Amino acid sequence: MFIERVSLRAIRNLRSIDFAPGPRFNVISGENGQGKTSLLEGIYLAATSRSFRTSRLQELILHGEAIASSKLVVSQDGGSHEQSLGIQAAGGARQARVDGKRPPSLAAFAVKTPMVVFHPGEVALSTGPSGERRRLLDRVVLHTAFTKMAEQIAYTRAMRERQEALETRGERATDLEEWETLMVSHGLAVCEARRDASERLSHVAEHAFHRIASPSLVLRVRYLTNVPETEDAYRHLLAASRGRDRARKSVAIGPHRDDLVLEVDGHAARQVASQGQHRAIVLSLKAAEIDVIHAARGVRPVLLLDDVSSELDRARTQALVSFLGEQRGQVFLTTTRPELIESEGLGGGSDRHDFRVERGVLSVAQG
Amino acid sequence: MQSPHARRLVSLLSRLPGVGEKTAQRYLLFLLTAERQLADDLGRELTVLRDRLVPCEKCGNVAEVSDVGASLCDICADNKRDSRLLCVVARVHDLMAIERAGSMRGRYFVLGKLLSPLEGVGPEDLPIEKLVTRVREDGVEEIIVATPPSVEGEATALLVKRELGPTGVAISRIASGVPHGGDLEFADPITMGRALQGRQRL
Ligand SMILES: Nc1ncnc2c1ncn2[C@@H]1O[C@H](COP(=O)(O)OP(=O)(O)OP(=O)(O)O)[C@@H](O)[C@H]1O
Ligand SMILES: [Mg+2]
Ligand SMILES: [Zn+2]
Repeated sequence: MFIERVSLRAIRNLRSIDFAPGPRFNVISGENGQGKTSLLEGIYLAATSRSFRTSRLQELILHGEAIASSKLVVSQDGGSHEQSLGIQAAGGARQARVDGKRPPSLAAFAVKTPMVVFHPGEVALSTGPSGERRRLLDRVVLHTAFTKMAEQIAYTRAMRERQEALETRGERATDLEEWETLMVSHGLAVCEARRDASERLSHVAEHAFHRIASPSLVLRVRYLTNVPETEDAYRHLLAASRGRDRARKSVAIGPHRDDLVLEVDGHAARQVASQGQHRAIVLSLKAAEIDVIHAARGVRPVLLLDDVSSELDRARTQALVSFLGEQRGQVFLTTTRPELIESEGLGGGSDRHDFRVERGVLSVAQG
Repeated sequence: MQSPHARRLVSLLSRLPGVGEKTAQRYLLFLLTAERQLADDLGRELTVLRDRLVPCEKCGNVAEVSDVGASLCDICADNKRDSRLLCVVARVHDLMAIERAGSMRGRYFVLGKLLSPLEGVGPEDLPIEKLVTRVREDGVEEIIVATPPSVEGEATALLVKRELGPTGVAISRIASGVPHGGDLEFADPITMGRALQGRQRL
């Protein structure tokens, strides 16, 4: 599976871009602020219906334009399909299409072309709060247990309804039991899918870390939830926390508090890991995300690697180059310094296509 | 279209669901150019609409006003319907969708709303007491809850179940076949028929 055509309209500073990437390594170079990340963001948008930089998609629209859109032609099993996503400035509505038709849901759209992105901000996976790690779990769930995505939407809705009842009518509201019943059934389904995703990830990530960091260091990756395992226990806990939830205006128990715990030699990575170890952890998690999605879907996800040069310290170069060398699918990578990306690491020159972005315009780079 | 008359009608028409300003203008021009009878008939019907049609006193469906006795809808008035079987729906639209499928031999009860604190609807805003009375007085033996499969539809079904518990009536919920988060109004008759047959104990 690979992207054979990319068409972007009014995505950030990219007014209009059309190009045909190669099936393997695509190196996109350019000075700072020329539109490299925006190009990857545009590709990611048409594959996932999201951005990896923001949750407010309107930010992506070229200033002054009413609509932004991204379209990919994806080649797979000898055939090809087209998928596109448009964003409207007014209201921010998303319009997804697969071969011109509306998909049954955005989740159904987002599984068409599996894609994994790796950008500098992602060091937050290891150093930051739990939200990033929950999103990692959910990206995996999308591909391993697609139908569970509806459970998550239902869980969140039930939780908000219950919280509203609690805050407007207090602990004696007579419908709390109904909402809590739904939080329990949908919440447990979410936990189950995430636990499974975490088990798949931890296996690969722990192995990868062993290779990338140092054989003497041990990474442990494990799912953490405050949700009890049985329906009854969960229901009782929810009922018992009504007073606190009402006072704090937030729900204490539930999968929305889940985390993926990362430990290096038995200590929380957030507290003890060095800069280099954080990067090794993130690289391991990304390798795991790619592997797990590949195993679940039977196709290699397209890999987007943003800003490779900015972090090219020597220790990381080694790990990254060997990581890249192991990639068998399509790769888009951006850099300010293309000369540092050695073709040998990319499996030889013929697999490599070079492009250049200057002030929002893309051209084929001359070797 | 500058005439105050035209503007008034366009602004009224565009308050109807699914009608924007453009469509409203098309309706206006059509009414102006088609046979005059159409505009006259429409006007007459609209003037008496709210005097002639009211919610059915028993179930909430649309009913003709009766000068003698209670204003009942066709379904409540039809004595070939099985009064032991009662289908609880959120809206009249849903009742109509189920009727179109043609496999429902009992009667209905329209709640009018779904439980949703986020939209300002609590249990006291639903006609639960009226439903309990109906079950007790009409000898209803089986209830099918056909609220949509959204979170709000499920919560409403659970509430109905709990409130009707003491009456001892058998309660089932329409089976899926309608997509989660879907709208009964858009369910096709085949799906609907299957959903009714495949109902499950709640
Ligand atoms: N909505 C928008 N409309 C127009 N321009 C925008 C919009 N959003 C961002 N930009 C501009 O687009 C340009 C390209 O940004 P981008 O992040 O893609 O650069 P980059 O090539 O990745 O740079 P760097 O190497 O510094 O990461 C920037 O100048 C940015 O200010
Ligand atoms: Mg950038
Ligand atoms: Zn009636």
